Amino acid sequence: MEQQVESMSGSNNTGAATAGFKDAALFTLVAILAGLGIEILTGGGGIDMPGWPFNLVFLVVFGSLIFAVGLLYREHPLISWLGGIPLGLSLIVGLALLSLVGGVLPQDKFPPGSMVAMLRLNGMFSSWPFALVTLLFLFNLGLALVWKTIPFRAANLQFMLFHGGFWIALSCGLLGATQLERLVVPLYEGKASDVAYNRQTEEAIHLPFSIYLKDFQIEQYAPKFALYDPANDRLVEPKSKLVPEIGKGVKVEWPGLGSVTVLDYLPSALPGAHGTPVPGDNGVAFARVRIDENGKVSERWISSGGPRLKPLFVPMGSYFIVMADGAPKAFRSEVMLTGAGGEKRMETLEVNKPVDMQGWKLYQAGYDESAGRWSTLSLVEAVRDPWLPAVYVGFFMIMAGNVLFFWKGVKKMEAA
Amino acid sequence: MTLVEFPAMALAAVVCWAAGSLLQIPAKNSRIFGSLSWLFMLGGTLVLAWFLASYWIALERPPLRTLGETRLWYATLIPVVGFLVEYRYKIGWLKYYCMGLATVFLGINYLHPDVFEKALMPALQSPWFVPHVVVYLVGYVLLAASAVSGWHNVIQNFRGKRSEKGESMSHYLALLGFVLLTFGLIFGALWAKEAWGHYWTWDPKETWAFISWLAYLGYLHLVARKTDPRKLQWYLGLSFFVLLVCWFGVNYLPSAQNSVHTYSG
Ligand code: HEM
Repeated sequence: MEQQVESMSGSNNTGAATAGFKDAALFTLVAILAGLGIEILTGGGGIDMPGWPFNLVFLVVFGSLIFAVGLLYREHPLISWLGGIPLGLSLIVGLALLSLVGGVLPQDKFPPGSMVAMLRLNGMFSSWPFALVTLLFLFNLGLALVWKTIPFRAANLQFMLFHGGFWIALSCGLLGATQLERLVVPLYEGKASDVAYNRQTEEAIHLPFSIYLKDFQIEQYAPKFALYDPANDRLVEPKSKLVPEIGKGVKVEWPGLGSVTVLDYLPSALPGAHGTPVPGDNGVAFARVRIDENGKVSERWISSGGPRLKPLFVPMGSYFIVMADGAPKAFRSEVMLTGAGGEKRMETLEVNKPVDMQGWKLYQAGYDESAGRWSTLSLVEAVRDPWLPAVYVGFFMIMAGNVLFFWKGVKKMEAA
Repeated sequence: MTLVEFPAMALAAVVCWAAGSLLQIPAKNSRIFGSLSWLFMLGGTLVLAWFLASYWIALERPPLRTLGETRLWYATLIPVVGFLVEYRYKIGWLKYYCMGLATVFLGINYLHPDVFEKALMPALQSPWFVPHVVVYLVGYVLLAASAVSGWHNVIQNFRGKRSEKGESMSHYLALLGFVLLTFGLIFGALWAKEAWGHYWTWDPKETWAFISWLAYLGYLHLVARKTDPRKLQWYLGLSFFVLLVCWFGVNYLPSAQNSVHTYSG
């Protein structure tokens, strides 16, 4: 371990690179085995992280401990080993291996009594081994940070930003997880509600504001033709892999079978008398197509259909040509938010465009998929994460540190 | 342009690279052949860049959604790294590996053509889409080049021809790649918060992105410990396999069943 201290100060001795690693690797291994032991004893129950306010208390105590130990025992060989690179590296490897298990095994997919579940390998990221390695990792990183921060030197700024940011993001992200609330708010068109549900417990919670759903809309991409093979119950891909969206004049060919040309396209229509669709709101897509089955030409209407409308398809050889609905382009809920004090606000909720309301973020989450475009139900997710600002501070510190790192790297590279 | 033109364009690019590479032989003694060779090699890359641009226009969305589309970007960008390295370090061999790798990517796309699909699911319609994926792309390109030069250095070492310049090149490529990986990770997290309500859910793709990031983090700390650079060439060569799992291997893992990223295959 004495060698350790020496190489920390930058000795160029490659033999020193392996020294200290053995102890560190052993220590990491013991931590992982201890964690797995706890899991076996508790039947794979995982770790219960402290909730408010104990998470903050824990953070303050843990942080102070690192500061105190780092400043008081800086010269102690054991402490300098605890804050050194060999242990850091072993813990990085440990964290990577545990994440590897968590990244290969499906999480939450094993029967409770199985070996995997007993060791909580199916809930890796809330397991004891993961928590212990992370805790040691934060301790190691924290010590290194204290030593690089005190006394302050501008040359260490990049280190402080990068490592400090990572420390903050990791600790606050994990400790804040107990206070993260993600609730579903089902909304019906023309109705207001403030009732939100916890997905796991299905417990109902009242939000401090209410949401009135004025309108829910879905926008879709244009529909496409597909060739359905009833014998094998599957869709046949066209050879060119190029299926243009349906529009007037579009022609699609299936070599050997025939081709389809769109003569007329109505994005929204309802069936009229004599089988001719009439354009109108709230309808479905119809297309009049000319079918050429190797010389045998006919004209037909084809449609994707809707909840109350049968789809129209046409036979071609032993196949059917069908009109497949376009993929969804946008879901949108127009809502009126009413706060506890009666203040009102109109907002549009859309994927990627959450709206802030009294400490909550509201997201467009889903709808009644069986009704599709005609859904009058919109599922909104309400999320509250009081620790988010701290995590973001960490993120921005990491990015700032990386900008400096990049800049220094490029300058050194120029010199090399 | 659409995928119908892809085989012709890919072939044109590969032919240009091959012709440029062959012209390097007479270029040793003649400046004219040298210029001609570069004209061909850069021309191959320009053909692909042109195809990407017109494909982007035809798709009416950034061609960054499918694995095939990202391979097209790698094929375009990896040779650029080779060219830049030669320009900066006067190290010539890297570009051949880069063009070779690009040819492999084009070959995979030729054998497994993508479906021309304009639709972009709502979660991808975000200002974060392009920066997140492009930053990762460039990061992967640099780390691929770093891995290739790592393997090259390993082989040269065996043959007793150690080159410190080659080692410093693989190091700086890895360093820059790591910085971009970090940005990609954080951009992804910031985007996930906007799109899905939380910045981190240990989705398999996220987990693997974290593992790859840790792999290169480990590398940088080994460097900080003054590890023998000759051993680190192995490390750089092997780390790239972790990235490959993250890039497309994830889709084949048992954990992928509940990944939000599987649509990208
Ligand atoms: C809203 C959230 C996100 C969306 C919509 C998204 C989407 C995408 C897309 C479309 C790609 C390119 C296709 C592919 O190769 O998979 C991609 C790549 C990637 N994403 Fe995400 N992503 C998100 C969040 C994240 C997060 C949080 C991470 C984690 C760190 C992450 C890590 C990666 C990685 C490592 C790649 C590979 C880059 C490549 O293949 O070139 N993503 N993502």
